[in-house]
Amino acid sequence: MSVLMISILLALAGAIIFSLIGLVSGTDETAIMVPFTLLVILLGAPPEAVFSFFMAAVLSKHLTHAIPTALMGIPGDTTAVPLIDHASALRRLGVPHVALRKMLSGGLIGAFIALPTAVLFGQFLGQFADFFKASSGLIFTLAAILIAYFSKGKWVSVLMIIPFAFFIKSIDTFSFSVVEKHLSTSFFLGIAIGPMLSDILFSLSPTARKGMVRQTAKEYHLAPETKSWKGFFPNPFRVLTGRQTAYTAATSFVSSLTFAFSPVGMTSLMGEIVGSRNKGVYKKSTSSLASMNGVTESTYIAEAIIPLLAFGIPLSPVALGPASPLFNAPPVFTSDPVNNLHNMMTPWEFFLYGLIGLVIAALIAYPFAMNYARKATVFVMKNISQEAIVGMFIGLACLLAFHEAQLVGVILTLTMAAVGGLMNRVLGVSSGVQFMIFYGSTYMMSKLLGV
Amino acid sequence: METEMVRKEQQATTSKKEYIEILGDTVVPVRILSAIVISICLSIGGYFLGKSFFPKIAEAKMVGSYSLLLGIAGSVLGLIICANLFKPSRILTEEETSSEGLEEILLSMQVDPKAEYELIKDDPVTKKEMEELGILETFKRSGGRTQQ
Repeated sequence: MSVLMISILLALAGAIIFSLIGLVSGTDETAIMVPFTLLVILLGAPPEAVFSFFMAAVLSKHLTHAIPTALMGIPGDTTAVPLIDHASALRRLGVPHVALRKMLSGGLIGAFIALPTAVLFGQFLGQFADFFKASSGLIFTLAAILIAYFSKGKWVSVLMIIPFAFFIKSIDTFSFSVVEKHLSTSFFLGIAIGPMLSDILFSLSPTARKGMVRQTAKEYHLAPETKSWKGFFPNPFRVLTGRQTAYTAATSFVSSLTFAFSPVGMTSLMGEIVGSRNKGVYKKSTSSLASMNGVTESTYIAEAIIPLLAFGIPLSPVALGPASPLFNAPPVFTSDPVNNLHNMMTPWEFFLYGLIGLVIAALIAYPFAMNYARKATVFVMKNISQEAIVGMFIGLACLLAFHEAQLVGVILTLTMAAVGGLMNRVLGVSSGVQFMIFYGSTYMMSKLLGV
Repeated sequence: METEMVRKEQQATTSKKEYIEILGDTVVPVRILSAIVISICLSIGGYFLGKSFFPKIAEAKMVGSYSLLLGIAGSVLGLIICANLFKPSRILTEEETSSEGLEEILLSMQVDPKAEYELIKDDPVTKKEMEELGILETFKRSGGRTQQ
């Protein structure tokens, strides 16, 4: 069978599997992408097909994880955390399916902008490798200050950056002394489930409980179905307004270039920028959601492609996480010495096989989610209780933390969730700020305390 | 409407219950704690099962990944079990929000309904989109009420 055929088949498999996984809320990308990608590599698929599979999987998962995010207000995964506030606002206004369509169309546009941008800039950015590596800590710190100032908490968020970095570094150092490795998934999970855990903690405290008690069940209103497109495959440019398309294209393009940044941080930053330029809840939320989902898509794709193409060593948060098997999957791929997709594929092949993955994912995940969004809402609202979802989310978080570092991982996740969640709920220090502080904590503490 | 009736009836039979609001949705305290325990047991249980079973049939370097997949299968099973054990306590109304409801919602979000409608009115693109969605009228009524 030709490489092209295998690539198409694997992209198809990736698109179908990850469209379904995306529906399950709370799945952590790193933990889900890595085992599947490793499986495909170790089963002997050619490098081009592995790449097509990865691209199809990333796009499909990001598209369908918009469903739990928009319809239930639960982040589809860690990159969806910054979208929650805007998604919840539209959900309360009774139009969660509109939120979903905006997110899906934004994501699709973001993906197709990111691929050529990343391939082109990957070729040029190789020479700046040293600069990016050396100044990433400073970049994360400045970004944390910027995002903190624009978050709900404003000054208190800015004021909490140093103490929070100190806290993160402290539990990182302690867990390192036990398991002898620096944890990352456990920190992510902690920040992601923070608001959920703090709600549960409030309900267990006799003093805080009062604010949580409700006498009647929550009521939801769902606006009538309106299909604004003809046929099965909707045109994303008609779902978004012209301004929204422009914002999505611009933010996706910029975030494709900032490959050393955290995708979650970039999403928060771009969302705040777009949000501040649009007035009114409806317009602000729909515009922010479209560009934010475009940004999560483009950062993911660009952060995988640029380091692969330019250096062959993982130099971005995504390359260190979900895309890590593309760099390192001994004995097939190794990054020291560099013997992976970097040597095996030309820039043209990166574009071609990336495009195969994206097109197949777009043909499967996008119309599926667009056409059945409202049916999915009704099904979930009627059949899946919040109890089951929250339970699964906490169960998954414990599982993934346990996988990373056994009991230490679980305890670290719960500690991080309790502190981060209370800071989020009580002081308004948003998750995006917390993620950025996490990335910048090593730099900040080494500059301030010399450790 | 039929759905709403059914939900209301269900709610009536369980009206003695006290709800807790978690992540913007109402849950029954005993159920949420049970759901968390069930889910953690099945997820970590699946993972342990994989760790002890897969070394017999798979390569050493794949054991971790396979076990993780089994753990994830465990948490999906947990979701299915909990969804069957604990029915949602939310009420779903498949019609548009009434203007009073929307106004309350907007005010609770610290948004002035009148200002919100003014912004929509002055933006033809957004106005047209909301008209097509059938929600413009609600915003208009909600904005108009505050004016009086």
